Amino acid sequence: MDAAMLYALRDPAGVPSHPIIFLVLGVLTWALHIAAVQVMLGASALTLYGAFSTEAHWRRLAAAMITTAKVAVSVAIVLGVAPLLFVQVIYDPFWYTSNVLSARWVIGFIAILILAYLAMYAFYYRNHSLATQPTRNAWQMVVSLVLMLVVGWIMHVLSYQMLLPEQWMSWYAPNGVIDAGGQSLHGYSITRFAFFILLSVAVVAAWLFAYRRYLMGRPGEDAGYIAWLGPLAHKLMLAGGVLAVASGAAWLVTLPEKMAWFATSGWVWASVIALLAAAFFPRLMGSKLDQGLWGYAPFAVGAVALIVVAAAREALRFVTLLDVHGYDALDYKINLDWYSTSLFFITFAVLGGVVLGYLLTVAWKAGQTKGVYTPSPALTRLGNVSIGLLVLWIVQYFAIGFYVWAR
Amino acid sequence: MEYIGLYPMWYEPGVGSGWIVGLIATVHVLFSHTAVGAALFFAYLATVSYRRNQPELLEFIKKYGLFLLIFSYVLGSITGPGIWYSTTVASPRGISALIHSFVWKWATEWVFFVIEVVGVYMIIYLVGKVDRATHLRISIIFGLASYGTMLIIIGILSFMMWPGKPEWFVEGGYLNGFYGSNTFAQLAMRTAFMFTMTAVVGGVVAGAIKDAAFKKEITRKLAVLGMVSTVTGGLMFQWYMNTLPETAQVIFENRLPDWFGVSLIATLGGIFAWFAATWLQPRLLTPSIAMGMTVAVLVFGLWPEEVARESLRKPYVAGQYVYSNQVIARDVPGLDIQSEIPLLEKKGFLPTQVFVPDRLRQVTPHNALEAGRSLALTTCSNCHSLSSTGMRPLARYFGGNSDVAMVKTYLQGALGTGNTIYMPHIPLNDAEAYALAAYIVSLSPSPEKPVVRTAAAPNQE
Ligand code: HEC
Ligand code: HEM
Repeated sequence: MDAAMLYALRDPAGVPSHPIIFLVLGVLTWALHIAAVQVMLGASALTLYGAFSTEAHWRRLAAAMITTAKVAVSVAIVLGVAPLLFVQVIYDPFWYTSNVLSARWVIGFIAILILAYLAMYAFYYRNHSLATQPTRNAWQMVVSLVLMLVVGWIMHVLSYQMLLPEQWMSWYAPNGVIDAGGQSLHGYSITRFAFFILLSVAVVAAWLFAYRRYLMGRPGEDAGYIAWLGPLAHKLMLAGGVLAVASGAAWLVTLPEKMAWFATSGWVWASVIALLAAAFFPRLMGSKLDQGLWGYAPFAVGAVALIVVAAAREALRFVTLLDVHGYDALDYKINLDWYSTSLFFITFAVLGGVVLGYLLTVAWKAGQTKGVYTPSPALTRLGNVSIGLLVLWIVQYFAIGFYVWAR
Repeated sequence: MEYIGLYPMWYEPGVGSGWIVGLIATVHVLFSHTAVGAALFFAYLATVSYRRNQPELLEFIKKYGLFLLIFSYVLGSITGPGIWYSTTVASPRGISALIHSFVWKWATEWVFFVIEVVGVYMIIYLVGKVDRATHLRISIIFGLASYGTMLIIIGILSFMMWPGKPEWFVEGGYLNGFYGSNTFAQLAMRTAFMFTMTAVVGGVVAGAIKDAAFKKEITRKLAVLGMVSTVTGGLMFQWYMNTLPETAQVIFENRLPDWFGVSLIATLGGIFAWFAATWLQPRLLTPSIAMGMTVAVLVFGLWPEEVARESLRKPYVAGQYVYSNQVIARDVPGLDIQSEIPLLEKKGFLPTQVFVPDRLRQVTPHNALEAGRSLALTTCSNCHSLSSTGMRPLARYFGGNSDVAMVKTYLQGALGTGNTIYMPHIPLNDAEAYALAAYIVSLSPSPEKPVVRTAAAPNQE
């Protein structure tokens, strides 16, 4: 597959803003996606561990984690949509080819994800009070976790096949005979997959620190349980750090030759530093974690580390495709469209910021309150502004629409 | 060397990729429209509950919301990307065309999705945990954000059929592509029908309400919502039909089966009658009957609608410039897009396609059948199944013709000239037309072959 062929696959419509914007947004939103995926996987694993345990604190944790996991799946899915959008804007030749070559699995991905999610809900409905009652139908949770990993594996293969254009033809037409069935997953790297999955341990540890801090803010919570969570989170963070470094190293030494430059690049160094910083951060903080909002900081630091990892992952793709295959994702033809570009950024920053700020604050504060929560007048004003912004958005939709229509 | 950017093909011999996309799309329409309608209906109920001090309405929101959480949000949020993924493998350049023109619109929709996901959990789990005015505020935010997703996707769906304004081809620009008569007609029609779906699906929850008086109140609210929206939707459908371009009108009259119109009216009439009956006799409403009605809406309402939508835009798959078989059909100066037809006329498919094994780039007597298969995959298989099942099986359309020369003449005459309104212009030079014809003939069982029936295998042919 030479560069001329890759460029021919590009969409002739071009892109409506400079490609770098899509690249950066792709990295940021993918970091959010993988964070939610890792919280979901980690919470599912903790649920299972707790469900098989008879220890009271573990059972209580399991009850909390199944709730976390089921919301995290929704969040992972909705956050997955954004990188799904951006990857096909600037890497369309690679994304579409990779998908078509494994088409059955792309369709299978949908069915498997539905089954995985339904299995999780089935378990949840059978176990409304894990903390006080014996576990029922634990197998449903096992099925869910296994299927989620299969979904992740499909995601991985689709991402990884993008990097191997030199093999596409031999997958599509082995020995020169076209096989359009799309039955196989062709290209994969077990160590790379292991790295992204095992990172869940550290991510869920960071999540536990935040969860612990959240409980500390609730009046009348069980102090024994909160005290028990601290060492558990520290232990998981340490284990997670070790697993991430070990699997990351395994990934780097098994990189195929054309990607070998990556192992010694600054991207890897930056990632190692960021991951170690995130892993040691809670230890450095010590008892400060119990003061103010610091308890939430490990998760924030972890999120930054994930963004660095996401950037490194993108650098691997960008540079490999550029240096080895002559494809520059940033020289995409631009058909600048100011209106839709600015509408997105305004909607995202202003409307999204205000509305989500309002909703999440209310949700958090309500969780920190026993009984009925009534927001402060300032917060309520933010709620009214949220409604106002949404109405304004809808009005501009019709105003501009009618103007264009009538023109 | 010049190439045209056709992707590899995915060919599903059983039901065909088109039907798989259609199936996922049909269920998704049910989930998503129900959800958007419900979000607005919830905002209304929350308002009534607040004004008249009727907390039991919030209980209904909670129950219906929990049901929708699985029914609409879990399944809807997966089938949504599901449509995307399935069109990706069935029609990569079709989805790519939409993405490249509307990426920011989709990204904007995504902001609303995130609000929706947060909102749905909040309106369900915060009932009784926040004061009622706050709950009302959240319900309104949720309703408006949900409707925002509908407003955005409508413009993209309309573009898929026809760019909003004809100026789009010359001037380009997102606004010209997004807005037009068809956009607003479709918006009006879908807005109405989404309430119909909300009312039908809401019956599953309302049917289970124990308290007779409360059940009556909710059932009647749903029935009124259902009746008004069905009638409005029917009228808006008329408007929508009038905004279709002439080619679509011709296809509608000639290519859709005669029963289509009749069945549409019957379906709407049936739904209306159902709501009228539950208004008069709320006891009629049970969860299982409501479930049955939901399935009926899927089978008799949404599936034919999806099929019609697929047919009406033939031979294009997006924006009236990308053919179903992925070839760029015309110049779009507004975006500096060139038609690929001239290059195909000059050099043919096999030498210019990216994904063709080198040994098939030139047709020879040895590889003609295989080269023909490759051509059939590329040029026909998006619309015609190459096996005996699935969508419009190719072999059947040639009626077992065994005369390669005749088939070749047909291909070059009917398709090579672009004179068939529902099929793309498919230029085929002599060598490629011959190869394709040879392959098509090989698909039909030869009529001369003796038919052997024995007692041991009575049906063997
Ligand atoms: C854009 C989708 C599309 C593509 C691509 C396509 N067709 Fe068709 N074709 C149709 C439709 C729609 C019909 C009408 C079906 C019906 O009436 O049942 C049709 C009908 C036919 C017929 C019946 C004769 C007629 O005029 O109605 C033949 C023969 C045929 N197609 C051959 C082909 C061949 C060969 C190819 C590939 C070289 C091809 N088609 C590509 C959509 C397509
Ligand atoms: C819920 C189960 C899911 C899991 C476990 C999962 C896991 C993963 C993993 C491990 C990767 C990284 C693969 C690699 O680089 O090797 C990934 C990438 C990706 N995921 Fe998911 N994912 C899930 C759901 C989804 C969904 C539903 C979507 C779409 C809506 C999605 C969109 C993406 C995209 C687009 C990428 C690749 C981004 C890129 O290459 O730029 N994921 N996912």
